[in-house]
Amino acid sequence: MADPTFTPAVFYKNPVAALKWLEQAFGFEVVTLITDAEGNLAHSQMAFQGGAVQVGGEWEGPIVGPARMRSPQTVEGVNTQFIRVHLAEGIDAHCDRARAAGASIVAEPEDQFYGSRVYRALDPEGHVWNFDQPVRAFDPDEMHAKMGLKVSSLAEVTS
Amino acid sequence: MSEAPRRPSVVPLLWYDKPRAAIDWLQKAFGFEATMIVAGDDDSVIHSDLTLGDGAIYVVGPSDMGQGGATPAQVGGRNTQSVCVNLTEGIDAHCERARAAGAKIGREPADQPYGDRVYTCLDLEGHSWAFAQPARVLTPEEMAAATGRHIETKGAGNG
Repeated sequence: MADPTFTPAVFYKNPVAALKWLEQAFGFEVVTLITDAEGNLAHSQMAFQGGAVQVGGEWEGPIVGPARMRSPQTVEGVNTQFIRVHLAEGIDAHCDRARAAGASIVAEPEDQFYGSRVYRALDPEGHVWNFDQPVRAFDPDEMHAKMGLKVSSLAEVTS
Repeated sequence: MSEAPRRPSVVPLLWYDKPRAAIDWLQKAFGFEATMIVAGDDDSVIHSDLTLGDGAIYVVGPSDMGQGGATPAQVGGRNTQSVCVNLTEGIDAHCERARAAGAKIGREPADQPYGDRVYTCLDLEGHSWAFAQPARVLTPEEMAAATGRHIETKGAGNG
């Protein structure tokens, strides 16, 4: 099977510990692990239900110009991206497994107006993982009624 | 249950200070298509889907460090994640299109020892992107010989 079109690369101060934790907490599977002659992690990829994430250490260099790849622990706990994971089933059990492994559950599993059940977890270095599972069809009219929001195309946006 | 097409299981969510401008730019520079925008007050974007092939990313903002999300420009160019995009063809033309839109190219398109042709760039708010396209298919043994790395793989992609 081909790699997914989009794969987030997630940066950790301790990427080896992160790989082990992501297996234990979320059920991700290490599928590629590349190390250098000294045994240091050079590249890794994990798979989960057809999706993929790469896990790496903090780094910087000419190929990324002024950007610096950092753990949230090195960015005052903020994140420049979050990760959304769409589950087909079993979201409450998934949350329990993550909690047992030490995830900080910052939003407990709860049905949302847009038709998904969602929970939010922080991993040990503070990356934000949002898991969701469809529970009923999304209803744009219900969102409009509850939130005053509507689904638009870019052509409709006025400002 | 939703009739919508199945989403990729892992989807990166990117924070931008000016999400509307970012959505415009990502379409122009990278050829993504905004298929859904949930607009909030002022210029905010509560949710949006941008697609390429069978993949998707979500763009939201304005980034608010109080909610734990920041654009790289707000944190000195630090990125807690980057995005890897797998193209099927046309990577050199893709790079030229991105450059013309103002992307800062880090690594020019070049064949890598592990078999992909890759270029990297920063977008208008400093998020780091890597675009890759298969150039030739190597076995893990050939990859290890070419890179001097130790490579472990198992059942990639079917997890």
